[in-house]
Amino acid sequence: MVSRALGWSLLAVPLLLAVAGPVLAGPVVSVGAPWQAPDAAHPLGTDVLGRDALTVILAGGLPVIGMTVAALLLAYLAGVPLGLVAAGRGRLADETVMRSLDLVLAFPSLLVLMVLAATGHRGPGVLIPAVAVLQVPAITRVVRAAALAPGCRTAVEALTLQGRPWWRIQLGYVARHVTGPVATDAGTRLGVVLYLLASANFLGLGLPADSPDWAVVIERNSEALYTAPAVVLVPAALLMALCVGTNLVTDRLLAARRVIT
Amino acid sequence: MFVLVATFAVTALLPGDAASVVLGEQATDEQVATVRHQLGLDRPLLDRFGHWLSELVTGDLGRSLVTGAPVADEIVRRLAATAVLAGVTLLVLVPLALVVGVVCGLREGSRIDRALAAVTLFLHSIPEFVLGLLLVAGFAVHTGLLPATAAGTDLTARPEVIVLPVIVLVARQLCDVARQLRIGLAEQTRGPVAEHLRLLGLPERTVVLRHLLPAAAAPAVQQLARAVEGLLTGTVIVESLFAITGLGTGFVEAVQNRDIPQVQGYVLVFAGVVVLGNLAADLVAHRLTPRRELVTW
Repeated sequence: MVSRALGWSLLAVPLLLAVAGPVLAGPVVSVGAPWQAPDAAHPLGTDVLGRDALTVILAGGLPVIGMTVAALLLAYLAGVPLGLVAAGRGRLADETVMRSLDLVLAFPSLLVLMVLAATGHRGPGVLIPAVAVLQVPAITRVVRAAALAPGCRTAVEALTLQGRPWWRIQLGYVARHVTGPVATDAGTRLGVVLYLLASANFLGLGLPADSPDWAVVIERNSEALYTAPAVVLVPAALLMALCVGTNLVTDRLLAARRVIT
Repeated sequence: MFVLVATFAVTALLPGDAASVVLGEQATDEQVATVRHQLGLDRPLLDRFGHWLSELVTGDLGRSLVTGAPVADEIVRRLAATAVLAGVTLLVLVPLALVVGVVCGLREGSRIDRALAAVTLFLHSIPEFVLGLLLVAGFAVHTGLLPATAAGTDLTARPEVIVLPVIVLVARQLCDVARQLRIGLAEQTRGPVAEHLRLLGLPERTVVLRHLLPAAAAPAVQQLARAVEGLLTGTVIVESLFAITGLGTGFVEAVQNRDIPQVQGYVLVFAGVVVLGNLAADLVAHRLTPRRELVTW
């Protein structure tokens, strides 16, 4: 009970900041010397580019959340149909889909992102699809396993014998059957994607160096940890709250699910 | 073999042309063409792969596009720091996960189980660079207890520089390994094997340590192999954060310079470690799993 309340409140702060922040913040422009001490005009001081740290932090949550959500949506958009095809289109389709996805699993995710960056493929336009593709194998597995579950199989066989077309069975029956496991998986995957994107941005593989994204801001200002700690520690604390909150909440929801089933 | 092909394919088929990176922005087309020829980038793909592979067999990973130094030398030079970091991390991680897993597994649902589960999940959730920075802020900036960076120091000469990096690396991996062990052990203690052994009159200690723990450890060892993968990713970030001259920082530098031969070298080393880690875990797990000959009908 405690950890659920803690999880939700940890999650709420960075989420609210991320959504409302860009509205409250003024334009993210340079206003003075880098790493100025906090004063009345700039309550958190300035960052490495001489921008007001508070404005930067307010504007920096949206890229974090936006990229995560975009990557997740893209991943499920590809993973769910692939899983349904693997489960419902016979042995050959199953083998083809699953074996080729195994290849993607063979490499550590961050390694793939680094190689992409090394060959000049960086920026959010590459990072988001790449992170999504890296999630597809796991999603496809979850969907396939749920669609092949005994309860689901029997009903599909019955519907097939009644002469319903394949795609109508998949969309009308199997897709609904798969929703539960997919929702559970999405919770865990949210934490994974969040971590991966933050790490990639910290290593400079994604967003440009002047982006207000929290991970980028932390990396750019980390050498000022002694002189201007606020501009590093505030985004660090926000990212931590976001990641811990996500994991606590999904962990609680998972535990609740397990009790019911 | 797959690792070799994939390493080459990924780096060669996505060329953000290395030649133009070497020469900088202002290079003329002619200069680029000359350098491309020097680097052998104008030859057919299969030709280049064969050449790369034949040199690889002799331990030659090519030369850095930026410094001209052999890639293999650079990797060997950086290997020690990363090996020490990863080695110490595993030495801390395995016993710690064992203790946490056993304590939680035997007292499933108790207060201490829930407390440890919450703490490890909390530590697992924080990205390495965030946790590292917060630890530096707490231990190095204000109290000066531990050094904040390893820049310019030899890891073996000053062991204290490695403390914070190891804490960060262990924190993220502990949760999954301990959790696997806990689930396995909790299942085992409720199972028929445990019942049988207890009825034989064996002391609980022997039952748990000699019989249940090995059986419960198999999935945890598999998880440990995945942790090795996570540790590799972690070292890249932790080394960057603490300025350790290891494979991770070398990889990041190579990526920033678009130094393709170096990137290929690092990918090969990293992928090789992942493959070896999985192989080792499979072997250990196979030893730990009770033989199943009787049920293979």
